[in-house]
Amino acid sequence: MGNIFVKKPKITEVDRAILSLKTQRRKLAQYQQQLDAVIEAEKQAAKDLIREKRKDRALLALKKKKTQEELLKQVDAWLINVEQQLADIELASKQKAVFESLKAGNNAIKAIQSEINLDDVQKLMGDTAEAKAYQDEINAILGERLSAEDEEDVLAEFESLETEIALHTLPTVPSTVAQEARTGIEDQGRTEKPEVNVVKQKHGDEDLETIEAIEEEVLELPDVPTNQVPGRTKVLEEPLPA
Amino acid sequence: MQRLGDFKLPHFFNYPPYFTLQPVRETRDKQVQLWKELILDYCRNQKIFVIGLEDDFPLFSNPVIERSLSHEAKELFLAALVNEGRAEWMDKGHKKCLILWMRIQDWAEYIINFVKENGFEDGVMTVEDIRSGIESRGTDLAGIDRTVLMRALRLLEQKGKATIFKGTSTDDEGVKFSV
Repeated sequence: MGNIFVKKPKITEVDRAILSLKTQRRKLAQYQQQLDAVIEAEKQAAKDLIREKRKDRALLALKKKKTQEELLKQVDAWLINVEQQLADIELASKQKAVFESLKAGNNAIKAIQSEINLDDVQKLMGDTAEAKAYQDEINAILGERLSAEDEEDVLAEFESLETEIALHTLPTVPSTVAQEARTGIEDQGRTEKPEVNVVKQKHGDEDLETIEAIEEEVLELPDVPTNQVPGRTKVLEEPLPA
Repeated sequence: MQRLGDFKLPHFFNYPPYFTLQPVRETRDKQVQLWKELILDYCRNQKIFVIGLEDDFPLFSNPVIERSLSHEAKELFLAALVNEGRAEWMDKGHKKCLILWMRIQDWAEYIINFVKENGFEDGVMTVEDIRSGIESRGTDLAGIDRTVLMRALRLLEQKGKATIFKGTSTDDEGVKFSV
């Protein structure tokens, strides 16, 4: 097995140190479990001995328990040490990674900057300023002429718009007059128009085809009164068709 | 419905015929199929990796109907799993069987996801930590069979996603991930 071409992660001394610490951590935890068991057993033994009224033996068991408990505390301290060192290693390797990244970034900046010559930049900026000045000059000359022409254009457009608006406002006057006249007619012939609206509303919910059909009807309806203009007063007196 | 611990047993577990090898080929095929699924489900549920054919295995007997599988039947069902690559005999005598309720490549994938979720990329773990450490608690990796774990790790090693290494002679085996 073990394909030579596959790139496996490389094991460094740091990795070995971490492995060693982690192994130690596991072993210490295991040792703690063992101590816990022993302590529990001694406690139980002491209880039994007290019940059997064997004071000496019970005291001995409790002493043993005490030593184990001290040992357990010691192991706790070791474990904390191991954990602390693991955290330190991790922190240090993170710091190193950050440092490496910053170094790489710094190198990149330097590499890019090395491609720019200060004198070149100054010359370039000078050239650009010259070009800008030249451009401004042309603009100024062209701008004067253009503004004079613009002035004329603006005036002309203003006039044409003015006349357009004047033309637009004119026809509106007769249209309102016509509306007034129409409302006047409606006042007289109210019996006709609302009738049409009612028909429209009634069929409002129905599908498009019927609405279209009704609209055709509606379109026909207003024709009726115009044809019968002379006899409208008579229509007024007639009762509404249901 | 009968239960084994917190595992829900299927209906057929209460039918005596399913505990005796069926003579007719068609019914036997069906029987084998059902048992295969049951064994995998049960092992997945209970996180069992090894079945010893000579040990008492709760799944292979039903005291309610007073039926147990014969040695022949156990071996046949497990052999069917072995044929499908979902189990492996651990010895020549077919006395112990390794159950792969998750295939090795699925385990490898599971480990990669575990590594990613816990931020162990480029990290070092001991093999023991993966099996019993606080990091893997509550995942399927907790209590994983060592053979299965090592094979999944070796698969990852072949893919260049991990390196298995040893420190000093007293140290555990370690694995460095690079995902």
